[in-house]
Amino acid sequence: MKKLGTLVLLFIASVMLGAGVSAQDYDESAVLNFATNADPTLNPWTPGAVIESNLINTILFEQLTRYNPEDLSPVPGLAVSWEAAEDAMSWNFSLRDGVLWSDGEAFDAEDVAFTFNDVILVDELGAQSATQFSQVETVEIVDPLTVRFVLNSPFSALPYYLAAFSGMLPEHVLGDAENPLTEASFNKQNPVSTGPYKVAEFVPGSFVRLEPNETYWGEAPKLAGIVFKIIPDANTQVAQLLAGQLDLVNRLSPALLAGVESNPELEVLRQSQNLYFWVALNQEDERFTDPRVRQALLMAIDRQAMIDSILEGYGTVATGPIAPLLGAIYTADVPDYSFDPEGAKALLAEAGWTPGADGVLEKDGARLEIGMPTGQFGDLVPATLLVQQYWEDIGVKANVDVIEWNAYIQQVVVSRDYEGTLAWWSQPPTPDVTPYYSCEARSSGNNIPNYCSEDLDAIMANGQRALTPEDQAAAYGEMQTYLAEELPYLYLWYPDILSVKNTRLQGFPDINASTAFQFSEQWYVTP
Amino acid sequence: MADSGLQAEVTAERPQTSRFWRNVRRNPLDLIPLLVLILLILMVVIGPFLYPHDPARANPLSTLDSLSSEHWLGTDELGRDVFARILSGGRVSLAVGLLSMLVGLSIGTVIGGLAGYFGGKLEAVLMRLVDMFMAIPSFFLILVIVTSFGNHPAVVIITVGLAFWAQMARVVHAEFRKFRKTEFVEASQALGGSHSRVMVRHIFPQVLPQAVVLASLGVGWAILTEAALSYLGLGIQPPLASWGNMLQNAQQYLFLKPILAVWPGIFIGVTVLMFNLLGNTLRDWLDPRN
Amino acid sequence: MLVYITQRLLQGVLVLFLISVFTFFLVNLAPGGPSSLIDFQSTGAQREARIKQYGLDKPVHTRYLSWLGSALRGDLGTSINQGLPVASLLSQRFLKTLQLAAAALLLATVFGIILGVLAALNRNGFIDQIVSVVTTLGMSIPNFWLGIIVILFFSVQMRLLPASGSYTIGAEFSLADRLRHLILPASVLAFSLMPNIVRVTRSALLEVKASDYVRTARAKGLVERAVLWKHTFKNALVPVIAMLGLITTVLFSGSVVIESVFGWAGLGRLAIEAANGRDYPVILGVTMLVGSIVVLVNITVDLLYALVDPRLRHG
Repeated sequence: MKKLGTLVLLFIASVMLGAGVSAQDYDESAVLNFATNADPTLNPWTPGAVIESNLINTILFEQLTRYNPEDLSPVPGLAVSWEAAEDAMSWNFSLRDGVLWSDGEAFDAEDVAFTFNDVILVDELGAQSATQFSQVETVEIVDPLTVRFVLNSPFSALPYYLAAFSGMLPEHVLGDAENPLTEASFNKQNPVSTGPYKVAEFVPGSFVRLEPNETYWGEAPKLAGIVFKIIPDANTQVAQLLAGQLDLVNRLSPALLAGVESNPELEVLRQSQNLYFWVALNQEDERFTDPRVRQALLMAIDRQAMIDSILEGYGTVATGPIAPLLGAIYTADVPDYSFDPEGAKALLAEAGWTPGADGVLEKDGARLEIGMPTGQFGDLVPATLLVQQYWEDIGVKANVDVIEWNAYIQQVVVSRDYEGTLAWWSQPPTPDVTPYYSCEARSSGNNIPNYCSEDLDAIMANGQRALTPEDQAAAYGEMQTYLAEELPYLYLWYPDILSVKNTRLQGFPDINASTAFQFSEQWYVTP
Repeated sequence: MADSGLQAEVTAERPQTSRFWRNVRRNPLDLIPLLVLILLILMVVIGPFLYPHDPARANPLSTLDSLSSEHWLGTDELGRDVFARILSGGRVSLAVGLLSMLVGLSIGTVIGGLAGYFGGKLEAVLMRLVDMFMAIPSFFLILVIVTSFGNHPAVVIITVGLAFWAQMARVVHAEFRKFRKTEFVEASQALGGSHSRVMVRHIFPQVLPQAVVLASLGVGWAILTEAALSYLGLGIQPPLASWGNMLQNAQQYLFLKPILAVWPGIFIGVTVLMFNLLGNTLRDWLDPRN
Repeated sequence: MLVYITQRLLQGVLVLFLISVFTFFLVNLAPGGPSSLIDFQSTGAQREARIKQYGLDKPVHTRYLSWLGSALRGDLGTSINQGLPVASLLSQRFLKTLQLAAAALLLATVFGIILGVLAALNRNGFIDQIVSVVTTLGMSIPNFWLGIIVILFFSVQMRLLPASGSYTIGAEFSLADRLRHLILPASVLAFSLMPNIVRVTRSALLEVKASDYVRTARAKGLVERAVLWKHTFKNALVPVIAMLGLITTVLFSGSVVIESVFGWAGLGRLAIEAANGRDYPVILGVTMLVGSIVVLVNITVDLLYALVDPRLRHG
């Protein structure tokens, strides 16, 4: 009986797969309404303007690779296959044939070479996220449909990074521009792109309207259009969502879910990202060079309680810089620091810290009084205040200094003028964390705690050389254990990325927004 | 010394105090704003010592609680007691309001007084300066200054005061100008009194009533301005609580716990209302037509 | 008269120049740089490259002079964070603020004058007391808080009116839709402007009523009503006009906060975004625009003054 049932199911499934989604299954005249916080800049490489532009640019500007919605491994986009050389110092990418730009011109190797050699790799232009490709020396054109990425050191994560907001730019349009990143007629009006939808209308301050791209190479787009409304205020976005005027709101704060949860037409998507919140203790400060101090300070914090209050429970305690969504590579089998204030005090005592006259821990004349500049952004202030309180309970005095975001970046990131601070890193779903942990990344890179360990550098280099999933799991497993013991950053949590979607929107991969937007040709609206 | 001619002026000032009591007897209700304010000030000054909760003590396990006998006004998004924060926030908002008004008052009086007393070129230059400051919308001025100098409470106080001094200067200028050519001033000068003596001892007391009215209204305006600034994230920063920055946090939770937005607003409104009513009453009492 | 106007205009230009110098140097003192150039996750090398790209590594006075040179030629530069020309940003946002300000001013003036007249006619009576209460409340309640409460009631609870924005995006133009979006922010803003107008109207009316004009008119035997309308009102207009001039500055300040509460894409929001994002060209552009308007309004008010009351005319 069971076998028959299975056969029947398989039969039905194959019929459905074969038929695909037929015209009667979707509403051809449907227009989707999305929201963005500010006027987008329609160029994936222009510095700044990231949050409001990322998603719309993902629809417009296709990438060489995309993320598999099942497991986030790289799958074909504008490139159909790729292969690393034996010595791991270069990658060959075969490009898709028959791709046309929205103005009718053919997409080919010239565009890829232009995007890298003349935009991303030109340091003076300061392209967004260019450092992700710092290991790429140059891109050579082998033939009109093949490019070779020549590296200056092994880079196994290249296909991953190519799927992270790395759209291709048209050489025939921007090739002659003085600065390909600031052409207002392109960025703010009429870009040329290869994606399933193209820009029809851009009314500054109001909306950007997309329409189907007739020259699209893949599955025909199933919507009549997509409108990105410019709505700066989160409360308004939720209000419009509730009123049915928006179909998707991305990156919602948990506090705003209250109005949404009871609505039958809306669906809350709990997604994840390779994003983690941390506390950094400046390693230039002698008090923090002892790993036991760092471990104790982490043990003193009740991370789950913080998640429950600040994030309304929408988050997971972090074990390291790699989030669980990286599947096989993630391992939770690392040293763990559950909330244990007594244990923290004991560990600090072991490291030589004893309570002084006013209760603050002391050692050899130094006090555990930590200056913590905090940026005024999102949850940083409430989180820092809670950390301050937990530390106060074990005898560590944190002085919280709230500064305006811009000034914060200047002080903490650029000048490294801080003792402790709380913030986050967001990375593409790759296990490679070199830009944030290597000795080389200390002064002008992103290694904000100024942590340096040759052992760690060696382990990370192993990871970059690992080309097979098994090698990668091994190398990065070792890295996660090392980091959990050493704690260059105190790992706090991986927040859930909350999105709310109207149930009429179908074909929308729900793993995370950036991946979902890479498959916009699959979206449809039920009639 | 040669103060005999001024004795007359001193006695002429006394009727003002008996005028005060006459006004009170005529309309005792007018004293209510003053009483409420005294009550409020006592509450925020002494309250924190009596009310058991620490305004900064977060309790992640009991956030957004409703009002109870334990927490008189409930708890906020981090589990902090709202009433405790209202009390400590009140200290900050009132202090900032009073101090910025004093800053504005001082600068305004000095500049207005100098312009009105000396006249001539000095007056022209100073009054142009006043015009220029009045021409700049106060908010833009504050925005630029706070962005440039950071939002340390001292900066906020001085900036709000700077946005207010020009109005003060106008009034003081007019008054000093009126008295510049009066007999008793000329007499004092003839008797060898220095400029500063004349200005401080003779003219300024005449201006005082007007100044008091403006001061009262000014505190109200300063409190509102600080609240708006803090709401925009440009004023008093957490962890220091102020009624304004409590409203900023509350707006994020409008869907989840709207009542959080109501309390700070009510306190601001009532406090400013009292200062305004007090100012109006004082103005009515001082109006020569009454 | 012409000499007077020219004199005032020249003074205005001087004031604007001083404001530009003051603002430019002050804003460049602020720590940090344009938010699009020094974002959180970029590296030091990237930041330096971008800063150099935009010429921000040059000394302050050099940059000011180059800004001044372009500005005098009519080029206000390009927004660093938004990539759009400053002039078009300003005009677009200014129109939005103008809509809000005009609506608020209209509401405030109409209701303000009506209430002021009623109060003056009913001096110290019941109506006068009520008006007094309303105006004092208007001066006391923080207008941004009122905005939040109003949104809470009309949008979240009652679902009657939209919570923010100036129109339903993507829909066709509809006056009704625009008005629906305008009514809440304009009313809240008007509520805080009204007290001044009421007060001035009331006291001006009272003062004139008891003054010489009216006694003369009455002596001439004119009917009470004619007395009121013809002489009282016209002369009472003088301080009211002065108040309207002063209100411009209040209007700009008020709209800054209201625009934030209601998500109104106007000049006030632009100023805040630009200040926080250290978008130097935009900050200067906004300051120049607002300064020019205030100067022009003040000159106009003085001229109106002179027109209405011949005693105040200058030679």
